[in-house]
Amino acid sequence: MNRWKAAWTVFAKELVDALRDRRTLMVVLLSSVAMGPLVLVLLSSLVDQFEKRAEAREIVTVGLEHAPTLRNYLERQTYVIRAAPADFEARLKDNKLGDPVVVIPATFESELAHGEAPRIEVVFSSSNGRAQSGMGRVMRLLQGFQQERVTLRMIARGVAPSLLNVARVEDHDVADSAARAAQLTGMLPFFVLMAVVYGSLNAALDTTAGERERGSLEPLLATPAARRSLVVGKWGAVFCVGLLIATLSCVSFVPGQILLRSESLAALFRFGWGEAARYVGLLAPLAAALAAVMMAIAIRCRTFKEAQANTTVVVLAVSLLPVMTLFNQEGEAAWHLWVPALAQMTLMTRVLKGVPVSAADALPGVFVCAAITILALAWITRQLTRRAAQ
Amino acid sequence: MIRMEALHKTFMSGRGRSARAVTAVDGLSVRAGDGAITGLLGPNGAGKTTSLRMLVGLVAPDSGRIEVDGLSIAEDPQGVRARLGVLSDARGLYPRLTARENVVYHGRLHGLTREAAEARCDTLARQLGMEALLDRRTEGFSQGERMKTALARALVHDPPNIVLDEPTNGLDVVATRALRDALRMLRDEAGKCIVFSTHIMQEVERLCDRVVVVSHGRHVAEGTVASLCEQAGCEDFEEAFVRLAFGTEGAKP
Repeated sequence: MNRWKAAWTVFAKELVDALRDRRTLMVVLLSSVAMGPLVLVLLSSLVDQFEKRAEAREIVTVGLEHAPTLRNYLERQTYVIRAAPADFEARLKDNKLGDPVVVIPATFESELAHGEAPRIEVVFSSSNGRAQSGMGRVMRLLQGFQQERVTLRMIARGVAPSLLNVARVEDHDVADSAARAAQLTGMLPFFVLMAVVYGSLNAALDTTAGERERGSLEPLLATPAARRSLVVGKWGAVFCVGLLIATLSCVSFVPGQILLRSESLAALFRFGWGEAARYVGLLAPLAAALAAVMMAIAIRCRTFKEAQANTTVVVLAVSLLPVMTLFNQEGEAAWHLWVPALAQMTLMTRVLKGVPVSAADALPGVFVCAAITILALAWITRQLTRRAAQ
Repeated sequence: MIRMEALHKTFMSGRGRSARAVTAVDGLSVRAGDGAITGLLGPNGAGKTTSLRMLVGLVAPDSGRIEVDGLSIAEDPQGVRARLGVLSDARGLYPRLTARENVVYHGRLHGLTREAAEARCDTLARQLGMEALLDRRTEGFSQGERMKTALARALVHDPPNIVLDEPTNGLDVVATRALRDALRMLRDEAGKCIVFSTHIMQEVERLCDRVVVVSHGRHVAEGTVASLCEQAGCEDFEEAFVRLAFGTEGAKP
């Protein structure tokens, strides 16, 4: 029998078999495909909260009645002043209060009048994310008050306030809107990456360890179909299922954007059909390698359960490799593009930032994944007969 | 026609210091002709399954020669497999496929066109009395239904030689009878060469034209049921088998 014809027959059968496993597919679709947009929505709701908090221009104080000058300044900045609850420290600790509290001493105004530096305390909890995020805003506001008072004093003494500035410091953000959004949406490539793993995992195990466990591998090997054709056909089906789930996961972000609650995030996050197609293109070599590696591990196992335990190594490796970028303070390194999963994560992040990905950037990952795929398929072909008879 | 000559197979059991060589097949020779059912009778662990796996090419013999219709398994494994229909002890089916899809899949792997495989599946379903099962998914099939589907799968390419490893294991009386009838039909009407491994005396007595008694991987006796009883010097076939397979140690006092 023609080798390709046999491989096609196996491919078609395995694909039908995998797609009929509705229960598993539904779980994978829910966990891998729906999870990404869900996280995006949660993220946007978080950003929305931060934005609303910033827009609210509220400041929480204790003892502001002792500081009419400061009150005047805050009101001129159009801030709404709220009195802090008596147990504000406990509330900050318990995450029940989401704003830092400005504590003014009773002697504030007299000390200010005498040219002494009154002590203003800004109370927050570093374990309270909401309160900590408001610290910058409050500190800038108080810094502004201080700057204003200093300027007035210097003018009163006939000194030019510009003397205080030996240089003009201005910040200049070079990140474009897509790159800024990538800071927030940087975890999305990770979800797509895991969709490839979970998409192909069940099919990889079922076509190898599952086949051994139910006793259908021996009859299959008693047919005249070449071992290589059987392996290629099975791998092709696993690869397609993995890529299908990955494609659905990528595509789900396109309509997922409609659900974004934060207007600024929605404006910054641009994930269209082009980005989705680039993601699928980048993920295809990884899906091929993962399918082959998981099959190679599973063919050694007698049962599906044993194979599940063994393939956790792959799942762990794929989930941990991208995390390396978090620990690496030096940013992107050239070798990242040679490590499967890390390479795809790096390139997908670039796509998200709107940085063009050249063929030269993608080639190392494609090359390594292709080599892994070929080696793993050769190993499975060798193992197939040996394991069937065990 | 199936010929197995002077087959030897040794496996390594255990690892490291506890590793030891276990001889599964030790010089076994079997010859099975066309139009006959040849029984491979032996106790558990006698080397029957290993011999049949060597015949199919799933296990390579350490030495010896295997030929099917003049083709050597060592030189032309695919040619040999194309001429064999194998019902091994592993009778697993694909639970999410229907019985028909299971059978047609194997037919396609044997090089049949989809139409030819479908037509052959219908013919076998009629012969094996499994028309009602054909379009049901095999998940939840009874042992008998599974056996019928597995047998149809093994016969889909109409092989001239049929190999069955302990085919009645786990079958009830009705399913066993149905299997026996199917095998007789294949022998009498189609002139197939059938090799049948078992450790059940009644199966051999009722079905086999020739019997090869195997013990400890070796060929210990061969002939018809009557001639084996004669060789052992007793009328009861079970007693004759015990004497032939285990010598006088296993025989009744």
